[in-house]
Amino acid sequence: MAAAKKAKKKSVKKSSARKKTAKKKVAKKKIIKKKVPKKKTAKKKAVKKKAVKKAVKKKTAKKKASSAPRASASTLPLKQAISFTVNGAKVETDAYAHTSLLYLLRDLGFTEVKNGCEAGDCGACTILLDGVAMNACCALGVQADGQAITTVKGIGTVDNLHPIQEKFIELGGIQCGFCTPGMIVAAKSLLDENPKPTREEIKVGISGNLCRCTGYVKIIDSIEAAANEMASK
Amino acid sequence: MRGFDFVAPSTVQAAIKAAKGKKYKFIAGGTNFMPDLRHDHTGETKLVIDLMRIKSLKGISSAKGTIKLGGLTTATDLINSKIIAQEAPILTAMAAKFAGPIIRNRATVSGNIIDGGPAADMVPPLLALKASVKLTGPKGNRTVTLDKFLTGYRKTDIKPGEIITEVTFPAPGKGHLHGYYKLARRNAMAITVVGAAVILKMKGSTCQEAGIALGSVSPTPVRCLEAEKLLKGKEITLALAQEAAEACATIATPIDDIRASAEYRKLMCEVLPRRLICQAAGISIDPS
Repeated sequence: MAAAKKAKKKSVKKSSARKKTAKKKVAKKKIIKKKVPKKKTAKKKAVKKKAVKKAVKKKTAKKKASSAPRASASTLPLKQAISFTVNGAKVETDAYAHTSLLYLLRDLGFTEVKNGCEAGDCGACTILLDGVAMNACCALGVQADGQAITTVKGIGTVDNLHPIQEKFIELGGIQCGFCTPGMIVAAKSLLDENPKPTREEIKVGISGNLCRCTGYVKIIDSIEAAANEMASK
Repeated sequence: MRGFDFVAPSTVQAAIKAAKGKKYKFIAGGTNFMPDLRHDHTGETKLVIDLMRIKSLKGISSAKGTIKLGGLTTATDLINSKIIAQEAPILTAMAAKFAGPIIRNRATVSGNIIDGGPAADMVPPLLALKASVKLTGPKGNRTVTLDKFLTGYRKTDIKPGEIITEVTFPAPGKGHLHGYYKLARRNAMAITVVGAAVILKMKGSTCQEAGIALGSVSPTPVRCLEAEKLLKGKEITLALAQEAAEACATIATPIDDIRASAEYRKLMCEVLPRRLICQAAGISIDPS
């Protein structure tokens, strides 16, 4: 569509240029009559050009499509069949060995695992692998074969919130929300090991998770409140 | 980056066999490998061998005055280990400053050593403890001292097909003193500007044996042999600590980078060992 609009604009410009040269030679009334057919021919030309372009594009696209699989088949090893559980549900899939666990999970639809830095610095992709918190970007997808993955949705869902999630909502622990899935998984991992952490211990516990809104105080408040609530239950 | 094959053997021998004749890479926690992979456009690696499923590479043990760390010992394992807390608390102190808690769950001792980086945080305390690495390869086992194993910037004395199966060090014994400091721009997830580790085996106020190492100030973390000699068999005083600290600074060959200038690093190579020696020995740093 965008290409068609551009073509129209071009044709209008051309016709207006012709108009200017015509003005000098012929009377105004005649030009107005001439305007209409000129525009039409210009449009037709543009349409023809478009058709040619499309045909060329189709040809090149076909070439690309036919050559791409051959190239990848010669350079990429075959995908490996792997299976693991995500939040208790079994997942069976084929994966290239070089795909990170982060990409694999996101491609499978688990987009609650966020892609922040892909270098293990930010903690947005924090998940639990067999109960241990880790960065999904720092493992290959195939390394998770046979293991149990927990994402933030495995800790609590919208209908059935975990106390950590409740307190994050209640106390403003969420600002833009991008760090929240990783932050909550890290908090869960912390509270699993240390159910009653001090504020200092909470700070250390979430030190691998960055919040770009810098709302750390409220995040720490939320985790502290969640720990208190979980202890009182 | 292009694709590669992947295997996850369950024994050391199977891993060595898998590597034979291939352009392979052993990986463990992946905390160095994965970020590097993003910038690797060579496609040189054709096979990645995951060591994380080899159970014999895990665990910390102590026998006959020697502490053994399995190659897959993570920083979290070091923090949680009672053996380490009793026998070599310097490693507990180091692990608490190592990256962040999530990375600590995956990052391994063998990976930190084999990466060969100058800022490898696990290395200076292990150098101060006079650790050795035990390697298993196609030609059998061999043991190399850690300072000899690190040969240059991201270079180690590893032979094709070899795996670091164990890191061992003599227990410095009860009553030894230690000091560790990681100078960095942040409290967590930081790359070290200068790392310093000090181990002092004492008899009364006399130092029987010392181990001092610095990180991030030369192509590899280094042991300060001259300073260790200076302290050996002497009573530790502020003047002696100063002398040893100056000896430490002479072997440092730091560079400028985005974290700090070479000049600052060089200065800290004197300040940190002096401070750590004095703090460990209970000497007031204030000369008055």
